[in-house]
Amino acid sequence: MAVGEPRGPLASLIEEFCRLPGIGPKSAERLAHHLLAADPAQISDLIAALSRVRDGVHPCRTCFNPTEGDQCDICLDPRRDPQVICVVEQPKDLMALERAAVFKGQYHILQGRIAPLENVGPEKLTVDQLLRRIEENQVRELIMATNPTIEGDGTALYISNLLASTPVKITRLARGLAAGSHLEFANRDALADALEGRRTF
Amino acid sequence: MPTVSATGLIIRGTDWSETSRIVTLWTREFGKVRALAKGGRRPRSPFESALDLLTLCSIVLIRKPGGGLDLLTEARAVERFVGLRQSLTGLYAGVYVAELLGDLTQDDDPHATLFEEAVATLTDLTAGTPPRMLRLLRFEMVLLRELGYAPQLEACAGCRGELVPGPGLGFSPAAGGVVCGRCRVPPRGWRRLTPELWLALRQLVDEASWKQVAAAARRELRGLMDGVVTEHLGHRPRSAAYLRDEG
Ligand SMILES: [Zn+2]
Ligand SMILES: [Zn+2]
Repeated sequence: MAVGEPRGPLASLIEEFCRLPGIGPKSAERLAHHLLAADPAQISDLIAALSRVRDGVHPCRTCFNPTEGDQCDICLDPRRDPQVICVVEQPKDLMALERAAVFKGQYHILQGRIAPLENVGPEKLTVDQLLRRIEENQVRELIMATNPTIEGDGTALYISNLLASTPVKITRLARGLAAGSHLEFANRDALADALEGRRTF
Repeated sequence: MPTVSATGLIIRGTDWSETSRIVTLWTREFGKVRALAKGGRRPRSPFESALDLLTLCSIVLIRKPGGGLDLLTEARAVERFVGLRQSLTGLYAGVYVAELLGDLTQDDDPHATLFEEAVATLTDLTAGTPPRMLRLLRFEMVLLRELGYAPQLEACAGCRGELVPGPGLGFSPAAGGVVCGRCRVPPRGWRRLTPELWLALRQLVDEASWKQVAAAARRELRGLMDGVVTEHLGHRPRSAAYLRDEG
């Protein structure tokens, strides 16, 4: 479509869907036509859900997990051990680990990994907040669950070096995860296995 | 369209979509190649997990004529340099090697010698001997030579005159090597060349004696090499700030 050419509402909706991950032009068209024929109440619910995500969700004050409140449900859960922290790159990694349902500690989301080639240094991550949290809560164990890629491993190594002179026990996810793979795509059993078989740095 | 096999090192990778990745490879056969790996982010793809940075793999490519993005159809990891992941110094030295290969070379300009040198460097960085910083400096020297940027060490890089040892002698990245006392301009990056530094530079370019570079000279060499690389790149490498010398 040429620049400046007016777009109909249906065309703009299709275009918006196309920008979402995993949705090609064909699926976008199908979704748009589905909504066109849908009950107006269903569309209102969708609009409401979208604006709640836009306006109400922000990173948890403690662990940076997206939440509506000041702190997320995991941080507020009294059954979860605040002295054992599992460090992940992204919220989707936390969700993958939660699906494995074996971890009873809390999380810390780095919001990325150290990637020198992309100009992402430790100062762009939540490393400082993690260090403060470890000090304030007398954290006993840190489980480094960054992706087993070069950049994920580098980030884990960087953080463990920072804590080398402290009594904090630092472990790394082990068995079950192939080097170079991504947490979000690992299956449940592989993740449970990796948590069980974690090793000291 | 021609399907070809090659051996290459992953020097850059970016996620392209939910399931695909674009990787840059430094290959023995074709030099620098950019290729799309459809499904490369899926766990059970024909690429397994061979598409991580600094993985040496054997690949199958469909080459796109006219400088377009090639299509990667297969990749199998040959060597992952796993030991690099146990040392921050080694890991970031490896990332620096990847950055220089990616940013100083041209597409489709193969240099088999430079490919072998890159693989040998990563192997040595993994092992930790010779000292990682020295190994990296040697790699940079070979890279400069292979790309036609070898620094001039035996005659003045400014006036081609004879170099007389003395306090006026310097090294200038902008001039391209050692400069005499009269050739201090352009001053950009100029540094004084002590007899020790001059010797270390001559050792570093020599296949037979680079391992004899004195440990005390490495710091000065690092600064000098930083200037040379920055000169050719037009900016300081992004990973340069992460380099450490373990001593
Ligand atoms: Zn939280
Ligand atoms: Zn001169």
